Amino acid sequence: METNRRVIFHIDVNSAYLSWEAVYRLQHGATVDLRTIPSAVGGDATTRHGIILAKSIPAKRYKIHTGETLYSAKLKCPDLVVVPPRYHIYLQCSKALISLLEEYSPSIQQFSIDEVFLDYTHMDPHWGDPIEAAHRIKDRIREELGFTVNIGVSSNKLLAKMASDFKKPDNVHTLSTHEIKEKMWPLAVEKLFMVGRATTSKLHSKGIFTIGDLATTDPKLLVQWLKSHGRLIWELANGIENSPVRKDFPVKGLGNSSTLPFDAEDQKTAHRALLSLTETVAMRLRNIRKSAGVLSVSIKDRDFQTCSHQTKLDVPTHSTKILYQTACRLFDEVWQGQPLRHLGIRTTELYSDDLYQLSFFETDIERQRALDTAVDEIRAQYGCDSVIRSCFLYSGLNSMMGGVIQEEYPMMSSIL
Amino acid sequence: MKVLMKSIEMIAWFTQDGLPTPVRFRMEQPDGNRIVVSKIRILKRKEEKLAGNPMMLFTCQSAIHGREKLFEIRYELKTCKWYIYKM
Repeated sequence: METNRRVIFHIDVNSAYLSWEAVYRLQHGATVDLRTIPSAVGGDATTRHGIILAKSIPAKRYKIHTGETLYSAKLKCPDLVVVPPRYHIYLQCSKALISLLEEYSPSIQQFSIDEVFLDYTHMDPHWGDPIEAAHRIKDRIREELGFTVNIGVSSNKLLAKMASDFKKPDNVHTLSTHEIKEKMWPLAVEKLFMVGRATTSKLHSKGIFTIGDLATTDPKLLVQWLKSHGRLIWELANGIENSPVRKDFPVKGLGNSSTLPFDAEDQKTAHRALLSLTETVAMRLRNIRKSAGVLSVSIKDRDFQTCSHQTKLDVPTHSTKILYQTACRLFDEVWQGQPLRHLGIRTTELYSDDLYQLSFFETDIERQRALDTAVDEIRAQYGCDSVIRSCFLYSGLNSMMGGVIQEEYPMMSSIL
Repeated sequence: MKVLMKSIEMIAWFTQDGLPTPVRFRMEQPDGNRIVVSKIRILKRKEEKLAGNPMMLFTCQSAIHGREKLFEIRYELKTCKWYIYKM
């Protein structure tokens, strides 16, 4: 590789949750390695979170997919071993991975719990040839941390990410710009980053089935069909992407959603669930010292029909009370009375909370801020259950819904 | 040796640098009786951090029921728990 070119690694843990669970169990005396039998990490079916979160390679042979229900997975493979998720362990594994990678480069971006970008540019004098270094890193992770990774090596983040998705597990792959035609273009178009289910069906209807088809389509046509997203995916299909490996990621929006343990059939229960989500979202906003300018509420009913509704707030805020009142108003406008399975709220247009606008119509802003701060401090010190609103007692709802664990958990982003 | 991975009660000494050395421990046997193992000779010590969970591993030897036996004990740093791993 030329010396003045960027060298980016994308490190992707193979069947992350399942591998981490398997290693932790082996360390604690388990005699069976979950990775060698048909097994899966699955949510709790009793609280209606019963889906496959990760599966082993032997389970993959039974055509078990991530995201399908445990019930249908068990039909495909009756002997499937399903273990519950332990997110604290996964966070611990992810942190150990990051600290090992930090030995190789100061420039590291955690892209999700199990994916990391590492900028290897100008690191050759220290750690040698990139491909050899990638092999060494991969082997060290396997020996020291006990799980396997795929490493993609390329000149930008997109290509490195595509490369790490080639043959798994425990491999290093390259995808340089002159290899795009040969290695990336024959792949199905839905394999491309940012091409989801909706875009795939639109592209299929236009006769675009492979990444190569997309790359060779006139970008003007794609813009006509898909607006700015068309241009973006055309660039990605041609390997054009130059975002830096960034440590501090700009937060553009923040939200939480949750499948309820039971259907919410009345307004009071739905409002209570919204309050629970608002508690989580507002606390996270205050933690990163931001105020939200736009709030949106999304609902999913018993028949899996979804809809959402959003509004711009008069004044950007991170107050639990104001966000909750606005969420309830939005919800009442959109809800037709159908039983609800899933609720979510999301905030966007985030502003710094250093300054805030006082209002004639809000008399107790200062007191609300003091209250929110006090509650946050108590929860930070003694846990989220230490102060809860009494309406959640015996309600069957968690007082702070959304998210997987109390700590901030790195989820996948749509921005590289 | 058979994998047991059972938590045990331990008396250990730590150096000023924080390096532990097991001295004697008490473990429950399948029949409910508890035995005390002392005069532990450490043959090998190793550190591992599988799954990002640091543990100290000690391969040891001592007399149990009048017979010299090899066993492995583990110290889990995060929980400060001692385990008999294999015997």
